[in-house]
Amino acid sequence: MPDPVIEILRAGDTGKPNPFTICIVANPVLEAPWKSERFVVDAMPTNPALFSQRCQYVVDCLFGRLAGQAEKLLADPLIAPYVRIVSLLADGLPAEDANALAAEDGTSSLLIPRRTRFLPFLVRYGLTADIAYVISQSAEHNRASAFFTTDNDASPGIAFTLDGPTLTHRFHCLIPGTIAIHATSSSLTALHEFGHALSSYTNGGIVDLYVDSPVDFNNLRGRPVPGAFRTYNGVAYQSDPVRDGLSYPPGWQSYHCELNAPAFPAVMDDYFLSGTVPEACEQDKITRQFLRDRLIAKIGR
Amino acid sequence: MEPIRPDVKRAILNANPQASPDDIAEYERLLSLRFTQDPDASSPAAAPFAAGIGAPDPEERLLELHDKLFPARAQRLLAGNH
Repeated sequence: MPDPVIEILRAGDTGKPNPFTICIVANPVLEAPWKSERFVVDAMPTNPALFSQRCQYVVDCLFGRLAGQAEKLLADPLIAPYVRIVSLLADGLPAEDANALAAEDGTSSLLIPRRTRFLPFLVRYGLTADIAYVISQSAEHNRASAFFTTDNDASPGIAFTLDGPTLTHRFHCLIPGTIAIHATSSSLTALHEFGHALSSYTNGGIVDLYVDSPVDFNNLRGRPVPGAFRTYNGVAYQSDPVRDGLSYPPGWQSYHCELNAPAFPAVMDDYFLSGTVPEACEQDKITRQFLRDRLIAKIGR
Repeated sequence: MEPIRPDVKRAILNANPQASPDDIAEYERLLSLRFTQDPDASSPAAAPFAAGIGAPDPEERLLELHDKLFPARAQRLLAGNH
């Protein structure tokens, strides 16, 4: 079996024993279909050159370096120097449960991260992660998906208020935010999924805005759409009354926060509907602030 | 969850006259819903933000919609299970 290849793509905060870390893994094994306990080898680890190129796509997308990209959340000088990014390629691993980090959904073309397998897998290579991507070369499943982070709510953090109640940007997680993407992923997909993965099941989730989603940090429900969206950390955010650029479909109850770039859909909305330049999309105002604050809390731990 | 590209949506509808844009919207909503609640939470109270919409078990409806939107794929999967 070839030696695993671990590359430090960004050093991050070298002064800390456990700096905020994003891992990108070449998926060794697929569960096919999801929840079947049947496993097949994924081709991704056999293509190191392609894997390296796709890691670069993820990094470029996170740091706003795609052609025409407007959203540059991680390029913030308060954030960028402190983000550690590590890639891992381990070829020749057996097709078994512990090596399967992604699954092929039986009722869609989604790749689904097997979120509880990530940390034990990474620990084998001396790694850990706050956010973990797995890149697959599945033959038929090419849509990305992500699970939010399961915070360690016993760990310290930075408290914040949301419409009154106090929540916390936790420093540590029990299960990292996990993302499964395909080797052909492009445009803002890596950034959209990062928005989900960085969010939290107990301290604010960032949901899809292109479906009639349940209530969560970036999505409220009700009609008529009120002027006020939410008050986050003492700052009042307005609603987007018309879902600029797309409009709310009849029958929807969801409504969203005001946009930073009203001519384009939000990054968590359907960026493919922005016309010819999906990369012009930006996060809505409350989502960008929330993700920024959560990153700054974690890099400051 | 990555949105379906507009050209793929059009192709699905063109290939399946029995399917409607509302079917795709419901299918996408149910798929996305999967990720909004912690699948490993010990109790629903551990996911207070995810005030659920949709049926208690949306997977059956998801399967119906999948078979309606992707009949050829459904047949292939069915054959693979026998």
